[in-house]
Amino acid sequence: MPSVVPNIRVKVLFFGRLRELTGLAEEAEELPEGATLAHVFERYAERYPKLVGFRNSMVVSRNQEFAAWDTRVAAGDEIAFLPPVSGG
Amino acid sequence: MAGFFKVKALEEDKFELVRTAVDAVALVRHVRAGQDGAIVTFDGFVRNESHGRETSHLEYEAYESMALGKMKEIAAQIHEKFAIHRVVMVHRLGRLEIGETSVFIAVSAPHRGAAFDACRFAIDTLKKTVPIWKKEYFADGAVWADGELPPTPPSAKSAS
Repeated sequence: MPSVVPNIRVKVLFFGRLRELTGLAEEAEELPEGATLAHVFERYAERYPKLVGFRNSMVVSRNQEFAAWDTRVAAGDEIAFLPPVSGG
Repeated sequence: MAGFFKVKALEEDKFELVRTAVDAVALVRHVRAGQDGAIVTFDGFVRNESHGRETSHLEYEAYESMALGKMKEIAAQIHEKFAIHRVVMVHRLGRLEIGETSVFIAVSAPHRGAAFDACRFAIDTLKKTVPIWKKEYFADGAVWADGELPPTPPSAKSAS
């Protein structure tokens, strides 16, 4: 009998030019448990193909810490896709 | 005992994201105390041109909760590295006109060397790590400023 991977809910945020590109500031997303931040990005890249071109010029955060793309997400995580920062 | 003083120092610091004009006088007043002999400030404000184009105005946006967290981390770092007393770091968001202050940092210390070094470190690090973004508006269009990619862990597997 195939095991069913449970889904978890996370919050996904976009900022700067990524927010303009997707038209999204914040979204709730459901993902299979064990998904990585890279997987989350890939889902959005499918919906918004222009994101692909920015993949190497963005960073990702998980619960307000910069994170590696292969980090696994957990239920309730706040994930954000961040362009190069230009404060100050 | 040194750790206690560092914790107390952070409690006396001020970190803010504001949407109205920065009150530099009040911020400098906040860091000044009897044990200090020097205050060094950084006032970053809107320039009238960028890449040879005349600037109309700027807009700043932030991942606010994370930006405040990163500002506090910078303060913790400078307390660790330099013999300073108090820090204030304020960044303004929203629309800014030419000449208006976007970021203000003030550091007090018993001696000027630490205050200079800490203030420099604070603004340099803010510009590389705090999730705030600037959009530059010109007469004929607007661009997001190029920016810097903050350092990130290469792999989750490398975390201990």
